[in-house]
Amino acid sequence: MTKFVAREQHVLRDGTVELAQPTERNDRVRGSGIAHGFANMNRPLLAAVAAIGIGLPAISHADQGLLPQMSHDRPVICGRDTEGHVWRIQCDAASKVCLYAANDELASSGRRTKPLERARDCEIEQDFDRKKMEADGFQLFQGRVDAPYGWMRDERGRIFQINFDLRKRMFFGAAYTPQKILDNPLESKRTSVDFGLLSFNKLSDGQTPTMHRIRLVQGEVHVEPFSAEVTIAHWDVSRRFINPLLRITTFAGTPQRHDLHLNLGLWTEAGGLEIHPSAGGHSTIWKHATAQGTLDLWQSEDLNSFARIRTGVGLEGQHTDGTGYRSAIVPSSAFEIDAQLDDDGFHNIKFEFTHEAPRYFVKFQNGQHFANRLKAKLTYEAVILAINDQPLSFKLAAGGEKRDDIFGVPNQWAFVADAGLRFSLWAPPRDPTPHPAGR
Amino acid sequence: MKRALAIAIAVAIMIGARGRDARAESCTGLTGKGGRFATCFDLGNRLSMTTGSDGVGLSLALRHMITFEDEPDLVWKLEHQMLDATHATFEDRFTGVLYRGRFLRHARDGHIVLPLGGGSPKKIFLPFDIGGLAEAGRVEWVPGSTAVRIGVVKMAALFDLSRTRSFRRRIAFGPAARWDVDADRDEMTLTQHSVSPFSTLLANVRLESANGRSLANFEVEAGSVWRSKGGWGPDARAEATLERIVLAVNDHPISLVLGVRYESITDEVLAKVGARFVLFDRKDPRVQLDPLVRR
Repeated sequence: MTKFVAREQHVLRDGTVELAQPTERNDRVRGSGIAHGFANMNRPLLAAVAAIGIGLPAISHADQGLLPQMSHDRPVICGRDTEGHVWRIQCDAASKVCLYAANDELASSGRRTKPLERARDCEIEQDFDRKKMEADGFQLFQGRVDAPYGWMRDERGRIFQINFDLRKRMFFGAAYTPQKILDNPLESKRTSVDFGLLSFNKLSDGQTPTMHRIRLVQGEVHVEPFSAEVTIAHWDVSRRFINPLLRITTFAGTPQRHDLHLNLGLWTEAGGLEIHPSAGGHSTIWKHATAQGTLDLWQSEDLNSFARIRTGVGLEGQHTDGTGYRSAIVPSSAFEIDAQLDDDGFHNIKFEFTHEAPRYFVKFQNGQHFANRLKAKLTYEAVILAINDQPLSFKLAAGGEKRDDIFGVPNQWAFVADAGLRFSLWAPPRDPTPHPAGR
Repeated sequence: MKRALAIAIAVAIMIGARGRDARAESCTGLTGKGGRFATCFDLGNRLSMTTGSDGVGLSLALRHMITFEDEPDLVWKLEHQMLDATHATFEDRFTGVLYRGRFLRHARDGHIVLPLGGGSPKKIFLPFDIGGLAEAGRVEWVPGSTAVRIGVVKMAALFDLSRTRSFRRRIAFGPAARWDVDADRDEMTLTQHSVSPFSTLLANVRLESANGRSLANFEVEAGSVWRSKGGWGPDARAEATLERIVLAVNDHPISLVLGVRYESITDEVLAKVGARFVLFDRKDPRVQLDPLVRR
């Protein structure tokens, strides 16, 4: 009975911050503080204690250095002490261990300040009898109130988000390839900003689970030299087909069936704009619309992550200072990987390799009707902290480009890497269960 | 300019002071014959037309909250402004914004969580709400020139010191990023790009009286902006607007609007005075136009 009084400064009813000593006297103080006024344990409480007797250990020490946390999946009851304060209690009948915690958020002094946030409803057991429970062999330890998936609660009962879905957010960020101007450190060459007005993934679960990915007004702008890319609207879908596209049965020996799954989808963009420096000024590419078919080579359980190839065609117009405007049909193909590397959404990686081959209606600078664009980009993004549960993430990106569609730009690979920060709004916790969508 | 801002600030303080007094008053007026009329208005949900010294304008504003049953102290305050456009009547001047949104996350306990990489996350409390501003599709042109300025996108992180659950008060600041394009309307060519990669600071104060009859809004943005012709340079813009509802027709308010706007790039101060007619608006929920029926 000495363990739980070690952190008693948080639960003393008078709010003292002094460490209580593990003595019989302190035990009495604690007892008077939480439960001595309870009468006999009644049948519902016994049932609850019995019901939570499955699964050990009851005490979660996952968050090292903190008090053990109650399980969010097991019943919790509430009891009122002689002071009228309400306590949450969760017991494990098998291990004979109960965790208790204040039913309110606490100030640093231990004073109760306000109701717990994101806490489950808790039925008050008027007849909770701590003495009876201790006589039955139960031990009571101070703990932390449980938190829903994606959230954590500290020892004062305050809650905060620890799991982020960066595929549901509005974001903006700045990145730098370091080259500061010494005269004015606020002025930075090779600076870039990136932004996304809305990123939204929506899973339509069912017989054929489908993940819809919507992106609105997303892009980036670089300075010195200036270049910009922005896409007004993006929508793509990944599907997981339960029924195989092809069933091949072999009859050599025992007949066997071999399924060939082709998880086909769609990828579309509209209202794209690219601006690049050219020999005579700027070259502006208006990507009116692009549609591609996709084949997912790999899908995560929840369809949030994937590796896929896609191919299709688009329509664009290019205006270059000095040479004017010309339109083109653009066959394009790409290989891309988009993956969340951990369950909490902290580590995200995206790789994209694209090939675009615009076919111009009028002859281009090289006397031909076509040009080629090759692009590769790898981006890693990691959440480093959260402000008011809104994540601030670190972004590291490296990419290369080889193209012959812009006058004055040499047809050779050019590489760039930058690092920066992104601030995201919304970013709710990820889906609590990796949806075994369609499986 | 300074004088105008001083007057605006003084009026805003008056609005704030009156706002506190107005909480107690009823939002439903009664005529001598028992007729009812609205005395409180929702300034954030309306379609309005403004005529004044700067021309004729149209604006659609919507605002709403997202609340959470399991976290009653948390609320997202979302404000949207769409198709906010003004064209000068007697000269070829136009200002319009396709979309502007302000999103503020109000929590009773603002905090920062760090680190999240390993071990036990720590929670440190902060005295502000956070949020963001997003603007897309701003277009401006001025008389006597074929130049048009297109604000492709503007985004800002907002830290709101007012920390209020309602829309009535906002004292926010934060770094802003924006990309503007100067174009020639005749030649249909882009002439200059201006980029602020979070090198400008935006500050916004909005005060709205409790009865929704008075509004003051101030916004200042200043810092360094990179331009494709000329490189880095200072840039500042400020705008102050005061609005006072002076009468209502069929409970649709008509307000007097005063404003002043400054831009360092043109070194131009524009003052405006006009009347705003609300064509459609959301009835303030405190207004009870139908008499209560005793059952």
